[in-house]
Amino acid sequence: MIAVQGVPLVDFLLLGALLFCVGLFAALRRSNAIMILMGIEVMLNAVNINLVAFSRYLPRGGDRGQAFAVFVLAVAAAEAAVGLAMVIIVSRRRGTIEIEEISDMRG
Amino acid sequence: MNWPMVAFVVLGGITVYSGWRVATAPLVTHAALFLAVTFAGVGGLFFLLQADFLAAVQLLLYAGAVMTVVIFAIMLSEMKDIEEPRPRGWLGALRSPSLGALPFIGAVLLFAVMLVVYLRGAPALPVTPLPAPTNSTVFIAGALFKIYALPFEVASVLLLAAMIGAIILTRVEGGRRR
Repeated sequence: MIAVQGVPLVDFLLLGALLFCVGLFAALRRSNAIMILMGIEVMLNAVNINLVAFSRYLPRGGDRGQAFAVFVLAVAAAEAAVGLAMVIIVSRRRGTIEIEEISDMRG
Repeated sequence: MNWPMVAFVVLGGITVYSGWRVATAPLVTHAALFLAVTFAGVGGLFFLLQADFLAAVQLLLYAGAVMTVVIFAIMLSEMKDIEEPRPRGWLGALRSPSLGALPFIGAVLLFAVMLVVYLRGAPALPVTPLPAPTNSTVFIAGALFKIYALPFEVASVLLLAAMIGAIILTRVEGGRRR
């Protein structure tokens, strides 16, 4: 049985912080709308690491951290579906998904 | 030998490295494949944390469903060139990988702030986890259907609305391909 004895909580928090910053870097660096959504997904995953780690280490966390992680998963799935649908319709209408070229709002 | 620490370092290293490649891979398809590795690594970390249910959901939903949607979006969006384009304008130059380092500096500054905060608070944080629940599905269901019953229903409405919205947004009008 794998267990997590021997890894302090702060290590998980630091890993979550590092992954969040990597996702932020991806979202800020890319100019392609799909890539930006992928960076946001990485950031949401980093948040989930923190939530699950809190639920396993803190006595008052209990089941709530994991319940919140489930909600984050649901919202991330909804965000991916709608965001990528928007990317597809923008690429149909404009022929590009580079955000530098999608700067005016009226279709 | 501290095997959990070894597993943690290996899984965390894979996760962060593939996350880094999501940010820096030149091709969109390669970034998408590294994104799948990142999701699988986070699922492995959930297994390490003995959150079995969330680990399974992570693999099914992220490494399965979300990755499928991302790859479909890459194939359906008519990208002329999937290479990163040349920067244009001063803003593009400032954030382009070859010339500017603004996103990198921003991310590093944020990480430095979090590092300082966490390391200052580290002595107060617990070192050993609580005893694992015998059945993590029952464990989560207790919270989802008792304390968080209303947010659970709201999340289901959100998913329904997102599904309908995605269908309506990408519908081809009159059966004619535009």
